[in-house]
Amino acid sequence: MINFDNSATTYPMPPSVSRAVADAVRFYGGNPGRSGHKLSVKTSEKVFLVRESAAQMFGAKTENVVFTLNCTHALNMAIKGCLHRGDHCIISSLEHNSVSRPVYAMSKRGVSFSVLEVDDDDEVTLRRLKALIRENTKAVIVTICSNVTGQILPYREIGKICRRKGIVYIADAAQAAGVLPISMSDGYDFLCMSGHKGLYGPTGTGLLISSGRFSLSTIIEGGTGATSLELEQTDFLPEQLESGTVNTVGIMGLGEGIKFVKSKGINRIHDYEMKLTESFLNGLKGQRGITVIRGSGNYSAVVSFNKEGYDSNELAEYLSNRGIYLRGGYQCAGLAHKYLGTQSNGTVRFSPSVMNRQSEVNVLLSAIKKA
Amino acid sequence: MTYNLIAMTSITYAQKAKRILNSKKMYCEIQKTPSGYFSGCGYSIRIKDDIARVTSILRMNDIKYKDAASGYVR
Repeated sequence: MINFDNSATTYPMPPSVSRAVADAVRFYGGNPGRSGHKLSVKTSEKVFLVRESAAQMFGAKTENVVFTLNCTHALNMAIKGCLHRGDHCIISSLEHNSVSRPVYAMSKRGVSFSVLEVDDDDEVTLRRLKALIRENTKAVIVTICSNVTGQILPYREIGKICRRKGIVYIADAAQAAGVLPISMSDGYDFLCMSGHKGLYGPTGTGLLISSGRFSLSTIIEGGTGATSLELEQTDFLPEQLESGTVNTVGIMGLGEGIKFVKSKGINRIHDYEMKLTESFLNGLKGQRGITVIRGSGNYSAVVSFNKEGYDSNELAEYLSNRGIYLRGGYQCAGLAHKYLGTQSNGTVRFSPSVMNRQSEVNVLLSAIKKA
Repeated sequence: MTYNLIAMTSITYAQKAKRILNSKKMYCEIQKTPSGYFSGCGYSIRIKDDIARVTSILRMNDIKYKDAASGYVR
């Protein structure tokens, strides 16, 4: 089995992640932040250590790290908690449905939005962004790295623009966390990410990291283990946004995933994945009938391509039948595919992790050639 | 033994407080807030040091707390 679908979920995970998950089930059965008995307190301590580790990784305050179910959950909380009737927001043309759909849903509740057409030239993109800003622009909500093409947006420069204009900056770091050197010092107000991609954690984990500059309205209320006598929702982080029991099993696995990324080093992970990607791209160049959706800008280790005569899902199925797993279709990013002009066929997406080997890239290239 | 108690706004702040106070070799344990001490439920930290000294450390580290009381016997 060869997995090149790591942009969806990274697999295999480090053995330490599996062990942490098993330990969580066996030894950490207390409800964190609820009771005072030893089982609850020791589980709380484990959750706190992961929160602290994530905060350290992304340059945040520990209490501003909120555990979520996934990146979509984090983005929905940030987008719907920030925007209100009469507000305007800007999203990019490369957004995943986790941004475009909640924003579209908000447009039915009196929020307007504009789509920033991302260019290969960052200067052009930034000029376009500035031109879209209105008096009532409340938020800029953009992906740091496209899950379809791997294009990296000028995320730090966008942060500077938002800061200058007092606009809330919500970033989708699903494809960036653990791979690119992102930090809250880049200017994000809400940084959203999955735990199960570049952070090598289990599915069912995600993070919403706040700068603390803006507060959010809640989309879920309930038990937080704090201010329990009040009908009003707890109004401080992280509990405000963590109603209900958190996913302790997943969080403990995520903690080990983060530890794994820290031990490898983000730059080394990025360089290794880029080496595999360059090798893949070079291999495709020698093949007939291949179209690669990649420009001249900054790109990460995600490649979308098609082969003449093949529907993208059929090619992905052909490869799957040979034990090689890539994702075909639209990768839950309809807006991006429409912008890229690939809406009729979608694309096949190659996305390696640090667990992949060069020999696996060779096997994939050979299989594509034979298709 | 007699302790001082500081009621924390959340378990997260209680843990952050414990982490910082323990790093300064100061005694700090987390417990549920005993009824009769502070209003509402939640977590407190149990300390041996002077309340003013500890709350000053908490404020310096942006750690939110609700209230403090001395003479907690356990």
